[in-house]
Amino acid sequence: MFAGLALAVAALLVTFPAWTAEWESSRYATTILRDMLVLAILALSLDLLVGVAGMPSLGHAAFFGAGAYAAAIAAQRLGSDELLVGLVAAVAVAAVLALVIGLFAVRAAGIFFLMLTLAFAQMVFAVAFQAADLTGGSNGLAGVHRPTFAGIDFNGPEALYQLVAVVFLGVVLISWRIRSSTYGHALAGLRENERRMRALGYDTMRLKLSAFVVAGAMAGIGGALSAYALRFVSTNDVGIGRSIEAFVSVLIGGTGTLIGPVIGAAVVLYIERVLPSSIPFAETVLGLVFVIFVVAARQGIVGLARESYARVRR
Amino acid sequence: MSPEVFVQQALNGISFGALLFILAAGLSLIFGMMDVVNLAHGAFYMLGAYVTLAIVQRTGQFYLALFVAPAVVGLLGLILEPLLLRRLRGRHLDQVLLTIGVSLVIADLLGLTFGREIHSIPLPAGLDRSTQIFGGDYPVYRLFVIGFSIALAGALAVIHRRTRLGALIRAGVDDAQMLDALGVDIDRLFSRTFALGAALAGLAGVIAAPVFGIFPGMDVDALIYSLIVVVVGGLGTLSGAVAGAGLVGPADTFGRVLFPQFALALIFAIMALVLLLRPTGLLGRVRIAR
Repeated sequence: MFAGLALAVAALLVTFPAWTAEWESSRYATTILRDMLVLAILALSLDLLVGVAGMPSLGHAAFFGAGAYAAAIAAQRLGSDELLVGLVAAVAVAAVLALVIGLFAVRAAGIFFLMLTLAFAQMVFAVAFQAADLTGGSNGLAGVHRPTFAGIDFNGPEALYQLVAVVFLGVVLISWRIRSSTYGHALAGLRENERRMRALGYDTMRLKLSAFVVAGAMAGIGGALSAYALRFVSTNDVGIGRSIEAFVSVLIGGTGTLIGPVIGAAVVLYIERVLPSSIPFAETVLGLVFVIFVVAARQGIVGLARESYARVRR
Repeated sequence: MSPEVFVQQALNGISFGALLFILAAGLSLIFGMMDVVNLAHGAFYMLGAYVTLAIVQRTGQFYLALFVAPAVVGLLGLILEPLLLRRLRGRHLDQVLLTIGVSLVIADLLGLTFGREIHSIPLPAGLDRSTQIFGGDYPVYRLFVIGFSIALAGALAVIHRRTRLGALIRAGVDDAQMLDALGVDIDRLFSRTFALGAALAGLAGVIAAPVFGIFPGMDVDALIYSLIVVVVGGLGTLSGAVAGAGLVGPADTFGRVLFPQFALALIFAIMALVLLLRPTGLLGRVRIAR
């Protein structure tokens, strides 16, 4: 039954532009949903670190941005609009970057890990800012070509939305497989009791590094989609703001679950993109929401839902 | 590089390091006491700078801001600690996360109030001249920053070693629980420490405002630099903040002159190297990395 439900939701998601075509604001809703899904990919990849392995990274945008720049530059410099070329470039660059940063960062734990990831991500930001020949510096890269795949052109807004939705579903599936695998359970073991994992014979440094690289690569996919969707990459994509967005999404949605980061991403994107049209201090709202969840509802929206469900059943 | 230029850049580096010391000392103090890496430290710095802007715009008195701005930021810390952080005591990661939310709110409200453009204020009267050093002109204000920072370091060292508050802070850093058991009002001590650390960030904001300007995003710059300083120097000790600032300030300045393309990479390379060779930082008491 669960599988059937999941398939139905997936089908509804991919066909969203079709069944909302009658709506007055279908175009706008599709764009917002598309960007929510992109942020959700980033949040899901971050949650592999935060929620599963217990590694609170505050520099995850480095890999998102690396993927975005890689896809955009591949399209520009290689002259190829092939989707696979862009995605492979994005994943490869993000993974290598994660490997390099991870070699230093995973030596620290807890708040120190958080500090180091933040600092190293800021270095990536600085490099993106200064290497203007490649990245466009503060102007960014505009007019990123949208990709084609097996004869399908993803240039139109609907086709592009469907590409994002399908890749998003793929990322959800991969995340699910990782989390329910032995490897995923070993990562959860890191979170629960790292010392015991070491005693059991696991090389915890390598385990952490591998998680960092996998999560970085997944973030890179999100970055590539962002580059295609917005047709624009800028230093914002590697900046601390994007890292915070992802972290807030994971935390207010609920860490360690698949649905939590997705809900969180939707809420964050709503606050940042839809809310500003009615109130000017959306960022303040985001900060306050975050503070409230940290202080009063650390388990996130998913945790709140579980609690109230348990209360109803009693 | 001619000797004159070298001396000038060396002074620039030292004065930047002096500013970094004021900034990082507060972060290190709060961490040493409470095990909290206060990620709102950059926002506190920003608030100090904007309070300075408001005061200078209204009254033209920079020196007034030197006292009022740290007081305002310290007061905010005095309110925030019992209101929010105290609820999460013992949950260090959550306390750190909380400070992210606080910094978002502060930075956004400042942007709303003062506008999102770059502001600047003139150098304060009396310090807006240049002086001759080794045959080159050098701005007096930067020398003032160096002197001020040394005086502050001295004052903090005296407080730390010779006063009752210093003794309490040292004891709290060693074992806060024991201090609590001995009947010291730990809650009050923590909120005062947090306020003092916040005030130091505010003070750094005042000192930096005439040189670096006042703009959205200055909070992130300050936060990153202070994090690098405490990682390099070592968390939780005053001497660590001195060592970190003394290394990072000149390194950053000379890096910008010698290889402008890689200036930022240089200080991160130093950070990575220190972490590899000395996981506690140069003079720290806590292992940051394994």
